[in-house]
Amino acid sequence: MTPRMRKLLEFTLDNLVWFMLVFVLAVFSALIPNYFQLGIFANIIEASSVLGVMSIGLALVIIAGHMDLSVESVAALSAMAVGILFCSAGIGLGIKLTPAWLAVPVSLALALAVGGLIGLFNGWLIVKVKMNAFIITLASYIWVRGIVLAVSGGRSAQDLAPAIRWFAIQRFIGLPLTAWIAILCFVLFSVIMAKTPFGRHLVMIGGNETATYRAGIRVTRYLILAFVLAGAIAGLSGWLLAIRTSGATANLGIGLLFNAFAAVVIGGVSLKGGVGALPGVYAGVLLLSAINTAINLMGLPAVYTQVIHGFLVLAAVLLDTFKTRLRQKLA
Amino acid sequence: MREPLLVLDNIRKNYGAIEALKGVSFSIGKGEVVALLGDNGAGKSTLVKIISGGLEPTSGRMIFEGQDYVARSPAEAKAAHIETVYQDLSLCTNVDVVANFFMGRELTRRVMGIPFLDERAMEAVVAKALANAGTRIPSLRTKVEHLSGGQRQAIELNRFVHWGGKLVLLDEPFAALGVEQTRRGLDMIRQVADQGIGVIIITHIMQQAFQVADRIVVIRQGVVAGDVERSKTSPDAVIEMITGQNLAGAGAAGGMGAVESPA
Ligand SMILES: Nc1ncnc2c1ncn2[C@@H]1O[C@H](COP(=O)(O)OP(=O)(O)OP(=O)(O)O)[C@@H](O)[C@H]1O
Ligand SMILES: [Mg+2]
Repeated sequence: MTPRMRKLLEFTLDNLVWFMLVFVLAVFSALIPNYFQLGIFANIIEASSVLGVMSIGLALVIIAGHMDLSVESVAALSAMAVGILFCSAGIGLGIKLTPAWLAVPVSLALALAVGGLIGLFNGWLIVKVKMNAFIITLASYIWVRGIVLAVSGGRSAQDLAPAIRWFAIQRFIGLPLTAWIAILCFVLFSVIMAKTPFGRHLVMIGGNETATYRAGIRVTRYLILAFVLAGAIAGLSGWLLAIRTSGATANLGIGLLFNAFAAVVIGGVSLKGGVGALPGVYAGVLLLSAINTAINLMGLPAVYTQVIHGFLVLAAVLLDTFKTRLRQKLA
Repeated sequence: MREPLLVLDNIRKNYGAIEALKGVSFSIGKGEVVALLGDNGAGKSTLVKIISGGLEPTSGRMIFEGQDYVARSPAEAKAAHIETVYQDLSLCTNVDVVANFFMGRELTRRVMGIPFLDERAMEAVVAKALANAGTRIPSLRTKVEHLSGGQRQAIELNRFVHWGGKLVLLDEPFAALGVEQTRRGLDMIRQVADQGIGVIIITHIMQQAFQVADRIVVIRQGVVAGDVERSKTSPDAVIEMITGQNLAGAGAAGGMGAVESPA
């Protein structure tokens, strides 16, 4: 194989998800009536903000060579915490702050703190006590959701404070601010991962933890920080979720984990760690969202969505394996 | 003898019931090259890991530049200016040559207080370092997974030459290198030592040891079985120390250096 062809092939592999996104959008636009409109594309971006933010945290941990299954439940707990404090109906306590906009930073800080603390707990057990990440975060997935059920008593909070709701209503260039927050997060973390020593170190830890430890990189600290970030980012996605639904229900966000997982893997992050970049993950998120929108437009019963998502996860993992093999052949 | 850089005093290391090191003592001076020889499983890598912060000794003392020294992590050894090239390579194959060269010591540029990787400056440094050493790598931006074993080892060697320090530990650094690259590597070691840096090199190839070392230390079954000046010994005598057998006509090896006996 000529070096030129190899470069081309590698470029294709690295950016496969973008090609897939363009392809899928083109096919849907051609086949589904009413798909090709600006409104739909705005809708796709808007609908993907919660999932997008959550995927960032998950991607960070997977790139660093670990796994966090708890992000979905963490988001739900953060949303529930915000809902209980700042909703005025249902189980909401309807806390009023003066001035009213103070509810925004307070609720945001609360959501981030809830997520960050659970992330710290996960990270400490996994990195310091050296327990298996899969098991620990699976446990967190269960007990955190349990807390959501317990504090809500299975009921819901409605009517989120208008000051917070504002982020879902206020639009900027056709997109609500919640969508812009997601885009901003992607830009921010893409830059951090690609351009700063912190990101570089996380990628290298995911590639060869022993080597980074020997090079004097403080692996333990980095990994715990990755889990804290994943938790805090999940908290942020919970905050967005509460805003979008204007409250919180006990089963809020169920199923998001697997969508996030699919988005991350489709986005080119390898489950082996050390491979992948965040722009790809955003493309993965948009791809899923585009498919969801197509399902809606075609009027398929919602029950099929789950089947399709399941196959998407499967396809993503197959793709990951396939790409790894192909890369080995290239090497 | 030269000013001692590192003194090992009765270092012991047990892996559970296995006594890998049973009281090792020797020292290395500034600018000195010590070849550490010994059969498979003699305890050479274990000793290197103790000095470089990968393992803690079960007992014993180390004195580095006249002060008590113990490294609880590789980061601490690095802070003391002790560099290590490990037997199993320590490269992240998922990133490029430049990233590996600067692993943990990236050059940055601050923009509003936030450190950003200074890729261009780093690439320039790596290009220069590799060119000086005569190492040819197609592109510094290729991921290391696409490089050959020899190229990978060359990166590690160039890395330690560039970062220097006060003491360098090399655990079989030439295992994957060709003839020409090995010769260059040996030259590099001499250059490094001439800057006053102490070098401990582990090798199984007698010829390399005799080519580059000032002193030869032999470890057998966790103890020092011989510690001699290169100019006062011969390959046959060293082989005898390594195997512990008396070869016909090789003479008594034990008389040539301080022989430690297990305590
Ligand atoms: N992590 C470990 N756990 C248990 N025993 C170990 C461990 N590492 C090394 N050993 C044992 O300690 C002894 C010394 O091993 P070491 O790796 O230091 O040998 P070496 O001299 O470097 O050998 P080689 O020339 O094969 O690299 C061997 O008996 C080995 O089996
Ligand atoms: Mg060894």
